[in-house]
Amino acid sequence: MARRYDSRTTIFSPEGRLYQVEYAMEAISHAGTCLGILAEDGIVLAAECRSTNKLLDNAIPSEKIYRLNENMVCSVAGITSDANVLTSELRLIAQRYQFSYGEVIPCEQLVSHLCDIKQAYTQYGGKRPFGVSLLYMGWDSKYGYQLYQSDPSGNYGGWKATCIGNNFGAAISMLKQELADKESIKLDEAKDLAIKVLSKTLDTTKLTPEKVEMATLQRINNATVYSILEKPDVEKLIEKYNKLEAEAEAAKKEKQAQQQSKS
Amino acid sequence: METLLGIKGPDFVMLAADTTHANSVIVMKEDENKIHKVADNLLISTVGASGDTEQFTEFIAKNIVLYKMRNGYDLSPKSAAHFTRKNLAESLRSRTPYQVFMFIAGYDVTEGPELTFIDNLASAQSLNYAGHGYGSMFCASIFDRYWHPKITQEEAYDVLKKCVLEIQKRLIVNLKNFNVSVVDKSGVRQLEQISSKSLLDYNAAA
Amino acid sequence: MALAEICKISNASYMKPTAWSSSEVEDELNAYTSNIANPYTLAAPPFENPLENLNKIQANGDKTGIKINFDHGTTTLGFKYQGGVILAVDSRATGGQYIGSQSMKKIVEINQFLLGTLAGGAADCVYWDRVLSKECRLHELRNKERISVAAASKIMANIAHEYKGMGLSMGMMLAGYDKRGPGLYYVDSEGSRTPGNVFSVGSGSIYAFGVLDSGYHWDLEDAAAQELGRRAIYHATFRDAYSGGIIRVYHMTKNGWIKISETDCMELHYKYKEEKESK
Repeated sequence: MARRYDSRTTIFSPEGRLYQVEYAMEAISHAGTCLGILAEDGIVLAAECRSTNKLLDNAIPSEKIYRLNENMVCSVAGITSDANVLTSELRLIAQRYQFSYGEVIPCEQLVSHLCDIKQAYTQYGGKRPFGVSLLYMGWDSKYGYQLYQSDPSGNYGGWKATCIGNNFGAAISMLKQELADKESIKLDEAKDLAIKVLSKTLDTTKLTPEKVEMATLQRINNATVYSILEKPDVEKLIEKYNKLEAEAEAAKKEKQAQQQSKS
Repeated sequence: METLLGIKGPDFVMLAADTTHANSVIVMKEDENKIHKVADNLLISTVGASGDTEQFTEFIAKNIVLYKMRNGYDLSPKSAAHFTRKNLAESLRSRTPYQVFMFIAGYDVTEGPELTFIDNLASAQSLNYAGHGYGSMFCASIFDRYWHPKITQEEAYDVLKKCVLEIQKRLIVNLKNFNVSVVDKSGVRQLEQISSKSLLDYNAAA
Repeated sequence: MALAEICKISNASYMKPTAWSSSEVEDELNAYTSNIANPYTLAAPPFENPLENLNKIQANGDKTGIKINFDHGTTTLGFKYQGGVILAVDSRATGGQYIGSQSMKKIVEINQFLLGTLAGGAADCVYWDRVLSKECRLHELRNKERISVAAASKIMANIAHEYKGMGLSMGMMLAGYDKRGPGLYYVDSEGSRTPGNVFSVGSGSIYAFGVLDSGYHWDLEDAAAQELGRRAIYHATFRDAYSGGIIRVYHMTKNGWIKISETDCMELHYKYKEEKESK
């Protein structure tokens, strides 16, 4: 029966669900993982890169992280071609605002404006929703550093740390656990945490710099500084994490050995 | 014939505007307020073609209020001026351009005071002091002479008195009263009107 | 014939059965009378860009001999005082040098609590006053409450602004009594709208102002206020060739308007003359 309501984006099923929107969300939960963490002195976005073919041209710097304007950067999870449409729309919205008001668009306005468009695609006939969730990091003079997430449904929210894409549930509960006892963290800690969460939630056994894309956003001398981490830097972070993990593992084994010898 | 004046100080902006509403050579009204409070921290003063002044100022004011309702915070004075200029520039290229001259005066907690001069051709400048209309021609030199970067509100009000006195002395048109308003960190206030009556025993040289 | 087909000669106007096909006439007729169905779609002057060209036509009127003489001459006045609002007007309608009527009603009774005066183009004023009457009545039906003077005048000003520069010629006062007390607004075809205590509009206004300003006081008694309005208009009819006829005086009180008097200015002339001589 449900099939009858499947193909129409605009029609509720008898249980009151919008299948197309749910399918879009489902598609995203299989896409490459993206996570963002808000620190007190900056924000970090990290994304999983799935196309690690040796033949790919490395000259193209970033695959999943896009600069939107002076103060904002986003990463996407879902259908990449849909994402391209949305990011160019975001850039347009940001520039239109700047054209009207002569200042950079406040973060939430950009997000909510795009979400209005996404929402329209869940309501107007003959269209399919965008199969994309986005994470936005940005800074504005009103509310400082901000991290937002938006859905194909047109929902959005602000977060201290969140994750979209493959295994996002596990990643979010891990982030929740790690940040539970902290009011805020430093950007360096956030970067370490991002690597930790990614390496534990990705399906691959071992994390390599090729599989991760990382970007940070900071305010330095009254200017927004955005940087994509170079591969060697990512490598260092991964090594640092591996070392810590090995130490923890060793400590654990030692403890177990002690306990065994006691008994 | 109408006159607007504006002065920016280190932590305030003061506006003055005559209160005459005239139809060709006939004075219809002597108490029209041309300085409009648009937000808690924003004043707009407008002169120009009758009808256009009211219509355009109201359009801008309502849009600025709408912005606050939508986003929960005020548009900064700089953005408000940019927005006004853009709308005026668009109207200028339409079939029915608005004929208005205005000042956008505002105070922003982080950016400080802002005085923007906008003319009928939608040219906008951020200035320390300026005027619109015939009366302003007599005031340019007074501003040049008495304005300084650390000017206080009392001094600014006194400069405006000098200006009004000069206008009433040298301009052929009779501009009896001038409304004065100021915007600073504590918001918008209307100051005492400068009129021929209030200037009776004012000594400009003192 | 084939060539003619290719050239689409049959589409040329001279190939049509008549230069003015009935459908064209009908379309044009519909366009110019669409305001009968919707009063806000009043046809603009029937030439390109009236905003610019109307002024040119008027400016070259002397050379071309095509000049529209609007019914311009009028004296109307209105003032607020402690007892409400007084409106006083003359009744002469002129087109250039020609007196078209000596009995125009230049005060429009919009409803029991709202009066409008007309000056400028008589047709414009009458037309838009009727539209305004309709709007005010609709407001009353929709909101179960009479429209305020402020709102009524805003409707008028918005209309005027919409048609600004297209040749409308109006200068009207709206007087009323609402929750805020007595109200008096001046609205004109430039789109300006402003409240005030004392207004006079029309070619004779300068004469009316003279008498009005020198005799005006907020605390006037009712009879004195009515007489002041009447006298101001009389003196305007005396000096201004385009004003004359009957002088009508209306009084707006908190219980609605009252028609105070309608007197021929000639009658007043001899009355005032007599009063002066007997002094």
